[in-house]
Amino acid sequence: MLSLLFAFAFLTQAPLSQDTVKLTEVEVYAPAVDRYAQGQKVISWTKKELTVFQGKSLADLLQEQSPVFVRQYGAGMLASPSFRGTSAGHTAIFWNGLPINSPSLGQSDLSILPISAIDQISLQFGSAGALFGNEAIGGSVHLESKSSFGEGLKVGLSQQVGSFGMFNTHLSAGYSSTNLSSKTRVYREFSKNNFSYKDLGRFGTPEVKEDHAQFEQIGLVQDMAWNLTSRNQLKAAIWWNKTNREIQPVMGSNSLDQQEDQSVRAVLDYYHFGKNSIWNLKTGLVKDNQVFNKSLNQTRQYFFSGDWDQTFSDKWNTKLGIRYTLSKGKLSTYTADDSRVELYQSTTFHPNQKLELSLNLRQLIYAGIFAPFTPNLGMNWIFWKSSSQKVILKSSLGKGFKVPTLNDRFWEPGGNSQLLPEESVNGEIGILWSKSGKINWSNELTYYRMNVDNWIIWLPKGSFWSPTNIKKVNNQGIEYQGNLSGTLSSWSWSMNASYTYSKATTQKGIDENDQSVGKQLPYTPQQQANAKIQVTKSAFSGFVSTYYVGQRSVTADNPRMMPSYQLFNLGAGYDKLSIGKLQIPVTFQINNLFNTDYQVLYLRAMPGISYQFNLTILL
Amino acid sequence: MKLKHLLWASALLSVSFACSESGEEKPLGKYDNGILIMNEGNFGTNDGEVFHLNPNTEELLPAIFEEENLRPFAGLLEDMVLEADRLYLVANTGKVEIVNPADFKSSGAVASDLDQPRSLAVNGNKLFISDYGPYDADYATPDSYIAVVNGLDGGVVKTKIPVSDKPQDLFSFGNYIFVAGSQEKKIEIIDASQEKVITTINLEASPQQFYEEDGILWVYATTADNVIFYTLNLNTLALADSYSVAITDATEKIAFDNNDEMYILTSSNYPDYNDAVVAVKFENGLGIAKEIMTGSGFYGIGHDDDRDEVYVANANGFQGNGTVTILSETGSVIRSFEVGRGPSGFLVY
Repeated sequence: MLSLLFAFAFLTQAPLSQDTVKLTEVEVYAPAVDRYAQGQKVISWTKKELTVFQGKSLADLLQEQSPVFVRQYGAGMLASPSFRGTSAGHTAIFWNGLPINSPSLGQSDLSILPISAIDQISLQFGSAGALFGNEAIGGSVHLESKSSFGEGLKVGLSQQVGSFGMFNTHLSAGYSSTNLSSKTRVYREFSKNNFSYKDLGRFGTPEVKEDHAQFEQIGLVQDMAWNLTSRNQLKAAIWWNKTNREIQPVMGSNSLDQQEDQSVRAVLDYYHFGKNSIWNLKTGLVKDNQVFNKSLNQTRQYFFSGDWDQTFSDKWNTKLGIRYTLSKGKLSTYTADDSRVELYQSTTFHPNQKLELSLNLRQLIYAGIFAPFTPNLGMNWIFWKSSSQKVILKSSLGKGFKVPTLNDRFWEPGGNSQLLPEESVNGEIGILWSKSGKINWSNELTYYRMNVDNWIIWLPKGSFWSPTNIKKVNNQGIEYQGNLSGTLSSWSWSMNASYTYSKATTQKGIDENDQSVGKQLPYTPQQQANAKIQVTKSAFSGFVSTYYVGQRSVTADNPRMMPSYQLFNLGAGYDKLSIGKLQIPVTFQINNLFNTDYQVLYLRAMPGISYQFNLTILL
Repeated sequence: MKLKHLLWASALLSVSFACSESGEEKPLGKYDNGILIMNEGNFGTNDGEVFHLNPNTEELLPAIFEEENLRPFAGLLEDMVLEADRLYLVANTGKVEIVNPADFKSSGAVASDLDQPRSLAVNGNKLFISDYGPYDADYATPDSYIAVVNGLDGGVVKTKIPVSDKPQDLFSFGNYIFVAGSQEKKIEIIDASQEKVITTINLEASPQQFYEEDGILWVYATTADNVIFYTLNLNTLALADSYSVAITDATEKIAFDNNDEMYILTSSNYPDYNDAVVAVKFENGLGIAKEIMTGSGFYGIGHDDDRDEVYVANANGFQGNGTVTILSETGSVIRSFEVGRGPSGFLVY
């Protein structure tokens, strides 16, 4: 870990002394998500692995390839994550280190976070309030831009066409020298979403075409980095995204709601690479405008932070930091500001080559109130290792918290200024067994247990609704993740699979009439699984993937269960087509291969089989 | 998400439930006798349903629409109207489903061109459906209307008659449709043949429900501090008498028995959120009110004349199924049981 960190510092300096005619590719520095996350489960996708999700959203990726359950309100509609049985507001989401959840809602809509704007994604599971702060109760999502120095000019145009009027265009252009890196991406993603479905809400259950779910998204991402000197680096990123959606009505309703979401996210990082240390000053802005049927809700968040990461010896690393956040909300029913200060520290200790220990601490103060102090302890222990195999035991114990959102506190009518932060305690233990050789494999099994207290629920109070800290929830489960890869003759192949069992039950309900105590939380499947087989030979590649979502209830007292479903996707690609200097990779995908009729949420129609063709031109 | 809460809150304010005004029709078959429990369902989930209770055996049949039609009701159930040997299930999510009250088999629907229907009345061979109309940018409903459909088994909306904001209950008599215009405190009278408003009566209180007994049309109306019972002369189409009773925070939920008594839900809202069931008895033209049950989360009320029992529905915060509590007319609890989501009214026959 130590060497990795300084590899970055070293590499950023190295090219400076070289002749700039011959460029050397060096990644722009970004702190690793798991640097202080010992004992915690983290899974990541690289840019290459994300290619197959080009034109899709973060919601699709998480649903198809991770243990996270995504509550989707229709095709391209609101999609919110549920990590380990927690609610949508229990997931912290970061873009280049900036928390981007809406301060008024306390969550993000995953369907309007397009994969095409992101280069790397990591998921961290379990409460990690100490490492990642507010809302990291069930887990956290980290979206990163990745740029490099020394790549020269790169230009790409990608065009996707597909079923239901899908027409996606992505354009990227970048240039980088040894000291300057710039990358621009522009995209437009469009779908009529006029898929057919059986309308259960109508007399005779006719097969109808969805006529109010059109989706259009445009955006621009600009990444820049400068090596100011051999020890100082400046990095900036701006992401503008605008989505216009017709809100797909629930079956039986004929609503014609429209929603426009527009976000500007900007971040500026200054890194100073000292001797055995890295200083980081960060400032950022997240601006969200949402217009729902002409009703405007605006929020702004301004961030200022600084931290110092010091390696004292090859055994001790420490990071200290402070962040100030100012949130301003101008909602349809109220206007409110909120400022927060948080102090955090992380320490890792490596007593020997086999053991890594971490201690993370964080204290956040909002509106003069101390949020729960969150410590976290973690451990990675290589307790068996041979030349080709190793077994790592991972364990962590930590807390998480969620400050009541602006809506929770200030919504008129109903906002409750007396709300306490939600609070969680999470423990997990995992074992990772990996082997490298002709056949590589890894198997990871994790058991977790979590309690969430002061869970905030909006309840009807007379003629309006108001939030209260009332519920207590216990979550526990098992997660398995396996990867297998190798070569056979001239073919390379890989198989990935994951399985999750999650039991999330209400321990304390809203009153004596509450029938939910002891029962599984609504829209929280106990079982989920996914698998993917991929083969590559020379320029050809192909995959088949599947994911399974088990039964889930519509309400907390479980009288109505939604049936389980399993979907299959198939894809193939050829990446050696070229005309002169132009490379033209092509791919073809079939989604929902067996045209399975399913709903993620009750009476929310989802599309059947669909096709998409993708043609890219690279210079 | 919280926007939905706001919408829901406004829906709560204006929910109504109409009894069968004529009281003459009787269903036959599996659901021949008993009590239909209307479960409104949850906003955004459209899980409204009807439960059937046999009060003699206490047998409760859940979700009978889905049971008999093998598809979910898929709507927020606003009102149940038993007219012309048909049961009209009015969903404020934009449709009316029509079932045979004897076996609950679906026989038709009004499935398009409605926005937020609230109630329904039958006149001749026409259906009249009160509808708030669409929301504007400020969530107001300036284009409320009464939709007219030719044919008693549903079909397309033939015309929309503009009326005052937020029409609630409807009552059909002779060639007339009476409209309770809750927001602008009006009763509008529609000529059913001409399909237009011919008379408007202004009131001091918000009219919520009509109730006809012995040839007199009663109008239940509310203000912040009082409930007012108006009577209408059906020959002259003019107001006759009014009776005011001091009841604060009365909601639109009321159940009538046949002895000049009625049961009203009240809710104090912020900051205490106290709900109550208030019994009102008229003696010599004077209304006497008495609280017979207090609590929170009350969402519907009904009365069983045969057994002199009061049914109180509790939505339990819409987090799951609701509860029904049966009371004696003096407020003693007889029993409670779980029903569907958001129970909001009863049809006793």
